[in-house]
Amino acid sequence: MKTLALLLAAACSAPAATYYLTVAGLGGEADYTQRFKMWAEDIDGSLKKAGSDNVVATLVAPPIDQIRSRMATIASQAKPADSLVVILIGHGSYDGREYKFNITGPDITATDLAALMDRVPAQRQLVVNMTSCSGGSIESLRKANRIVISATKAGSEKNATNFARYFAEALRDPAADTDKNEAVSALEAFRFAQAKTTEFFDTQKRLATEHSVIEDTGKGMGEKAATAENGQGKLASAFTVVRLGANAAAARDPNKRPLLDKKEQLEQAIEKVKFDKAAMPAAEYKRQLTQLLLELAKTQEALDKP
Amino acid sequence: MRYLRRLGAVTLLFALSLPAQTLQQAETLWKARRFKEANEVFKALEKGDPKNPDYKVRWGRMMLDHAQPDDAQDLFNEALELKKDHVGALMGLALLASENFDSRAGDLAKKALEIDPKLAEAQELLARIALEDNDNTKATEEAKKALEIDANSQQAKAILATIDWLADKKETPWQVTTGKGFETVGHFFVMNRRYEEGIQYFRKAIQLDPQLFSAHAKLGINLMRLGQNEEAYKELELCFNNEFQDKATRNSLKLMDSYKNFETFTTPTTVLKLHKKEAELLRPYFQSEMDRAMATYEKKYRLKLEKPVQVEVYPDHEDFAVRTLGMPGLGALGVTFGYSVAMDSPSGRKPGTFHWASTLWHEMSHVYTLTATGHRVPRWFTEGMAVHEETAISPDWGDRLSPDVLAAIKDKKLLPIVELDRGFIHPTVPTQVIVSYFQAGRICDYIDEKFGWDTLLNMLHDFGQGGETADVVRKNLKMEPADFDKQFLAYVEADTKNSVDHVDEWKKRLKTVYEFTKTKDWGAVIKEGTAIRDMYPDYVEEHSVYEMLADAYLAQGNKPAAIEELLRYEKIGGRDPESLKLLSKSLEEAGRTKEAADALTRLNFIYPMDPAAHRSLGGLLLTQGNAKGAIREFAAVLARNPQDPAQAHYDLARAYHADKQAAQAQEELLAALEAAPGFRPAQKLLLELSTTEGTKK
Repeated sequence: MKTLALLLAAACSAPAATYYLTVAGLGGEADYTQRFKMWAEDIDGSLKKAGSDNVVATLVAPPIDQIRSRMATIASQAKPADSLVVILIGHGSYDGREYKFNITGPDITATDLAALMDRVPAQRQLVVNMTSCSGGSIESLRKANRIVISATKAGSEKNATNFARYFAEALRDPAADTDKNEAVSALEAFRFAQAKTTEFFDTQKRLATEHSVIEDTGKGMGEKAATAENGQGKLASAFTVVRLGANAAAARDPNKRPLLDKKEQLEQAIEKVKFDKAAMPAAEYKRQLTQLLLELAKTQEALDKP
Repeated sequence: MRYLRRLGAVTLLFALSLPAQTLQQAETLWKARRFKEANEVFKALEKGDPKNPDYKVRWGRMMLDHAQPDDAQDLFNEALELKKDHVGALMGLALLASENFDSRAGDLAKKALEIDPKLAEAQELLARIALEDNDNTKATEEAKKALEIDANSQQAKAILATIDWLADKKETPWQVTTGKGFETVGHFFVMNRRYEEGIQYFRKAIQLDPQLFSAHAKLGINLMRLGQNEEAYKELELCFNNEFQDKATRNSLKLMDSYKNFETFTTPTTVLKLHKKEAELLRPYFQSEMDRAMATYEKKYRLKLEKPVQVEVYPDHEDFAVRTLGMPGLGALGVTFGYSVAMDSPSGRKPGTFHWASTLWHEMSHVYTLTATGHRVPRWFTEGMAVHEETAISPDWGDRLSPDVLAAIKDKKLLPIVELDRGFIHPTVPTQVIVSYFQAGRICDYIDEKFGWDTLLNMLHDFGQGGETADVVRKNLKMEPADFDKQFLAYVEADTKNSVDHVDEWKKRLKTVYEFTKTKDWGAVIKEGTAIRDMYPDYVEEHSVYEMLADAYLAQGNKPAAIEELLRYEKIGGRDPESLKLLSKSLEEAGRTKEAADALTRLNFIYPMDPAAHRSLGGLLLTQGNAKGAIREFAAVLARNPQDPAQAHYDLARAYHADKQAAQAQEELLAALEAAPGFRPAQKLLLELSTTEGTKK
């Protein structure tokens, strides 16, 4: 629920835009070309459907100049309060030192891409690198206030990946929105795609050839799971990738401010009770939780009234 | 053990410190079961005379005796390289092949006999192979030949005595006096699924020769099969500690160590063991089918079991495989040891490749046929009845006609009924086992259709009285077995004629249809697919015509035609979860919710591990007013540790609410909102429940 509180706060203070750039790389053979394009279009569709604040661009098998040009446009338009999301789908390579994303003409390196992203003023950034060998890009891409998600844990995982298919699914499947705030955060999308990828290998009785990781501290090498212990996921849990519902509209209505404040207080109270769960008798926990949840439901009902 | 051959300086020093080595020393140490020392002597002998095949053969025999078959095989092959027709090496390889029920064992033994007609051991092996095929006449003949060579042959006497004891004769003129002899008797009782008696013979073997660890291992494994785990573990551990560590012993110990990961659920008539990680999910489905199968069989076989049936379900196929080690023609999906059934879990196989409920019913049928006959039923008949039961419960459950079966029918490779056991135990080609299952099943279908169920029960009864196949056929079917074979073949050939006649053409044209799907030439897929579909309608495996046609129709926007193809696929026994889910979704969209639910209910018998399918089925059942069914399905979603717990708890709350179980609904709702306090549908239901509660107060 902390995610929602942060979202509400952000939405109330200054509406901001999110710039998305999705790039499908070269497939090399018809099957992959078709697959990468299909996933990119799937993501493009979900992002465009999500809202007018989004500036969405999708490139299929572009040359490096086209990527540079698009990033330069974003850099010229974006403001510090905005967000940037870069999504890469395709084949990658890693020679032990440098990661490269396979596109038309010369490949783009992780260092090149990081430099392009650095020029974008948007302070909150997310890069989802879903190519083979993508783990090899983490070191170049990581930075404070930037979330890096990669389909593989290292540059040595060279097989074509499946993570992108499930990441695309996360952006349109309500099941990915586990906290039911009608928005899918970067962390929720990562967890959804990771779980589905694992399930894919399990059910097919195949040895997993990709292990996705997340890095949002700006200094790690990526972790399979975001936990309090490893400090990963804080930024990603508050970073909305796509909105599934209309909660943002209510948040912007000044007449509903008192109800929103009450809702936020109730949410915080619920979080506190949940935090104290281990220290209180089960019956008392249930009583307190039920009372707060009922109150929250009533408040939400009032908020939903036109 | 043979790795010692490759050990470095320390071992070499040890070997060099020994006085001059002789084969006799090695043999003496081996006989005294001082295997490590014997191994050193053999190693030194080989080093001193690397071109001597006799050393290699004797060393190989010791390896065989000491459960090191891989090393033994290497040594026998090395000996044959040195001397092409070394009789000892051929005999060693024959014994190795025999351990694996490899049909080459007989040929190797015969070859050894050609070289040395006085080789009693080869003659004994031929008797053993014949008895494994339940060919008592031939086994007796071969055993007597062995006795002509060696009047004291314990193995020959053991085989002759076994024939008498298996026929329940209390007295036999053949004196078995050694541990090895009784181990052989035990082997045959186990092969005939008479485990309790087999165990008693292994005990006798150990009594006569307490150091006979191969018998200890067999005792342990068979105790484990019957669920007597404590003693089983002790026996196997004894073997392990005495360096008798064959694969069966090692793996069985490993398996028993993993039993702590299983949960046991008991009812007055059943014991169900499921792995903890899937127990919550699978329990309702397995328990329900166990109860249903037992109620059905109790009536059909007119038999009430005296003790609970135990079913063990293994998510790791390797664990399950351990339970079948040493058993011929088994190990594919399930195995029955008396009242104990072990089988793969649906999670242990690739989705769509395994119909777990069909396997469960198959194995449960064995429990009844084995019990009804005191384990005296021949393999072909118990397997035939079990295969018959798969389709008796539901026509789409059993395995379809495979290309291997069609080829066997076309090439006239079906076995005579009196020799059918051989197809299970000593198949000459790998596909013969599958073909034998099919043939046995169809024989029972045929008898049921032509002579009636009571005839099958009478045959079962006669097998229980010790009757042999030929006599049982004559008595119950009133004809000679050869005449029965003719009639049965005519029946099978007529029944499969269409597929047999067209399968080759179908194969060629199927490739064309597949190529059309790759180029998305949907019109051509429909034209050619429709033309060949009914040439071989039983084919429902990967790239089935039904699925390709459905894809083509969907691509053309013709959903009703796609539904019809998928319904055909389902009816004939198609098992691919994705295709069945597509069928259900399409039916639901077409408003045919009852059929949509049926498709997913059927999927539960094939692959119940998919939470999305359970959720869809729960929703459909809830819509149809089947709240209890919806509760089962939504609970299954929760049992899979879902990605979206809030939704899963909320769905279950809805189902409980519909079933008027207010307290459970409230519990689930709280769990949903605890995970996602802002979940609006759950909030609305909470308000509704609180209002209802308030009104009541």
